[in-house]
Amino acid sequence: MESFFTIALALLLAPLFPGIILKVKAFFAGKKGPPLLIKYYTLLKLLQKGSVYSTSTTFVFKLGPIISCAGAMMILLFFPLGGMSPLVSFHGDVIVLFYILGLGRFFTIAAALDTASPFEGMGAAREAFFGTLAEASIFAILILFYRMTGALSFAEYFIGARSISMAGTAGALLLLVIVSLFMLLLTENSRVPVDDPATHLELTMIHEVMILDHSGPDLALIELGSFYKLFFYSAFIFLIIFPLKAEWGLFKVPLFFGGIGLVYVAIGLVESGMARFKMNLVPKFVLTSLVLVSFAAILTMEFIK
Amino acid sequence: MNIFLLALVIIVMGGILPLLTHRYMAFTKWVYLGITMIGCITGLFAIFSAPAKLQGMAWSCSWLHSFTLAFACDSLSFFFLIPIFLICPLAVIYSCAYFDKAENSIRTAVSFFCTNVLIAAMSLVTLAANILSFALVWELMSLSSYVLVMYDYEKAETRTAGYLYFLFAQAGALLIFAAFGVAFSQTGSMAFDQFATLPAEAKLVVFFIAFLGFGSKAGVFPLHVWLPHAHPAAPSHISAIMSGVMIKMGIYGILRIYFLLASGDLIIGQAVLVFGMVSGVLGVLYALGKDNFKKLLAYSSVENIGIILIGVGLGMIGTAKGNVSMAGFGFAGALLHVFNHSIFKSLLFFGAGAVIKKTGTSQVDHLGGLMKRMPIAGRTFLIGSVSISGLPPFSGFISEFLIYFAAFHGLKHNNITLLLIILAIISLTVIGGLASFCFTKVVGIVFLGEPRSGKAAQAGEGGRLLTLPMVILAGLCLTIGIFPENFIHLAFAGLTDIVKFGRVDTATIDTVSANLTLGSRLFILIFFVILLLRKLLYKNKEITKGPTWGCGFTQGTTRIQYTGTSYTRSVVDFFRPFTVIKETKVQLRKIFPGRTEYLRRIEDIAEVGLHRGLALPLLTLLGKFRWIQHGKVQLYIGYIILAISVLLLVSFI
Repeated sequence: MESFFTIALALLLAPLFPGIILKVKAFFAGKKGPPLLIKYYTLLKLLQKGSVYSTSTTFVFKLGPIISCAGAMMILLFFPLGGMSPLVSFHGDVIVLFYILGLGRFFTIAAALDTASPFEGMGAAREAFFGTLAEASIFAILILFYRMTGALSFAEYFIGARSISMAGTAGALLLLVIVSLFMLLLTENSRVPVDDPATHLELTMIHEVMILDHSGPDLALIELGSFYKLFFYSAFIFLIIFPLKAEWGLFKVPLFFGGIGLVYVAIGLVESGMARFKMNLVPKFVLTSLVLVSFAAILTMEFIK
Repeated sequence: MNIFLLALVIIVMGGILPLLTHRYMAFTKWVYLGITMIGCITGLFAIFSAPAKLQGMAWSCSWLHSFTLAFACDSLSFFFLIPIFLICPLAVIYSCAYFDKAENSIRTAVSFFCTNVLIAAMSLVTLAANILSFALVWELMSLSSYVLVMYDYEKAETRTAGYLYFLFAQAGALLIFAAFGVAFSQTGSMAFDQFATLPAEAKLVVFFIAFLGFGSKAGVFPLHVWLPHAHPAAPSHISAIMSGVMIKMGIYGILRIYFLLASGDLIIGQAVLVFGMVSGVLGVLYALGKDNFKKLLAYSSVENIGIILIGVGLGMIGTAKGNVSMAGFGFAGALLHVFNHSIFKSLLFFGAGAVIKKTGTSQVDHLGGLMKRMPIAGRTFLIGSVSISGLPPFSGFISEFLIYFAAFHGLKHNNITLLLIILAIISLTVIGGLASFCFTKVVGIVFLGEPRSGKAAQAGEGGRLLTLPMVILAGLCLTIGIFPENFIHLAFAGLTDIVKFGRVDTATIDTVSANLTLGSRLFILIFFVILLLRKLLYKNKEITKGPTWGCGFTQGTTRIQYTGTSYTRSVVDFFRPFTVIKETKVQLRKIFPGRTEYLRRIEDIAEVGLHRGLALPLLTLLGKFRWIQHGKVQLYIGYIILAISVLLLVSFI
């Protein structure tokens, strides 16, 4: 019941947090910034509209938003939000979930190519390339976690018998994981310095250019999916830094959402302080995260016998 | 056994018939189709009616009075027989629609005959129980498939491809027979079950020689060179049979020889794993870089063979280390991937064949917008693409999950094994990512967007016979994804007779398959909920159609679309030392520039390496002996007399 409540809360609150990033960025730019609830207003506006479909497109174009949103939602069902046991969980669920995110990417790319637009093709090529590299990093993290906990599910990572914590034997290695996971968060959620959805030129975007032709409720689904995905990554990072103990009871929930807010603040700080990378630097950036985690995984040979 | 033999007899008879009545091809085709279907269904019935008493299917006969041909069936043979009898009849249905030109009736009849011989030969390969019978049916398989590749023999590239395939098939057979020879010299027995008695060093030698031989059939990097040549040359349903079923006989050989030798050496597993990783990553990389539709699919077969070998390698390492779940899930994942790949790869080849037949081009960059023009082929191809990228809720994911599962369970070991397994997991991920890259390219460039040439714009759907096999296979892909339980059990059943030490208990298998079922069904549930939600949101909304947003550019043509070449450019560049890129470009110059051009070719390092390192030196060396061949008959007779007298001297001294 509690976990049901937390998931409902997460699904409702996820669009709130990106507002925090905008606020932080506005603060550093010396501006007032949009209201905190801006994303809700955007969603509401989009949901009230109709859609314009390009004559080039087929049903694949409409599948893209649905599948990417469904995948992002599904991952939240398996995640121990607020330290509560998730609705569903099994040994090996992480593999299934990251592959379902991969399915979302497949259809987002297919939808982009469906429009016959050269710009969207460009975005699709970049997304496919960087996504492949990012997936390798994520699986390196799973390898490391398996070495540390013997587990293959989010629930076991954070609330299982051998849950990961910085205080454990190999806790120091988690520092590397946190850095690399933060880099992955920036890559997978198209944040600066990897991608900048707010530039004026479509030529320089990655994710945003792929969804140029989506409009109305379709676009709302894409936005919602991306909020959930970002929420998941932030929760992932937060729980590694600050594992929630079972004895704290319901107090865990506000702590969890507050902590996630801090991760979003960190994203805002990075975005305020950095410019977007040149496109050819992005693979190096993603590979750095892979190298960090692989290094950590190899170090476990000494830490864990 | 009798029913099984009957099935083979029916299949071969069905093949002979078109040879006799090729003048009445329009009619013969249907009879041939009917007989072959009956034969294959009888075969399926024979193996499924008696899965418990497979051993009872053994039979032998004497050949040329002094040799014995022995055949026997166990769970591994049983498992490899299923794709043979499942895919081949579908390919035969497809072929009846694909060969629709009346003037080629003799050639078509020969092709039908060889197809059926190939089906029979492949099923006998899985049953062969001694060296001689294996060698015989293996050669029969290679030769009949060679004839099938040569269907369009008046084209020069088909002849080259056929020659290359012949070379690789025969060199591979040579290595396999050499391995058998080593074994025979030690045991003095033709029977396969004597292999276990070999000394440990001999086992290693036998395994590695045979691995190279079987690897060249399976398309293991760097022995895969024939695949990307033979597939584009052969008719599409032949490519489907060869890629979906025949190259799996190489995997069967590797597994069979491994289990016969029962060697516990760790190096075997490690070597197979490394070959698997290299084939997987480089296979999909070259698939990405290819512009020819069927070449791309051929390289993707190399990739999938890599995935299968990763599973096999993990299973072997697990066996050597005594890690039961790693061994069980590794082998079972590999077997299930054999089955899955046979399904989606033939589906993709059927789709590619339909596209090539209807548009007349196999260049990916000349196609586009076919989803609207060929709705069934497009939709089934999309399902096949998602499956082959290993994405849930389709079949490819189930087998890849089992392999991942095995790999993660192997992470508890240390040192070199740990490093290899870490590499294996990361390569599986990279393969998965690049495979979705590759198949978004195919789907996106060929089926979506706008047509890039006039031929693509005028294409239309093929007939029912052409689309029916695709629909069946696409349905299977989804079925395995949503109801994986029986198929996972089937893969484990394939291991029952051969994995001797510890078995994964049924409870674990049940849990894993239940979990996978839960995962795919939950996703489908969420998908439908959102679909419903979307329907509600669009109720009473205004939906308009318009041109694609051109970012302010108003004169868009279909030529400005992204092509396969531009889509893959950055990733191909990224893997630079492994992809040899040849570019020719004419860029904008001067004030009044001419037409720009860009052409990219990606060379396969194995092909370049084999050409420079082996073929050219060999040709130079053999060129020096050309004087022996002078064309004078008297001297040839002289050679013969010389040879005979030398032999006589040798045998008398």
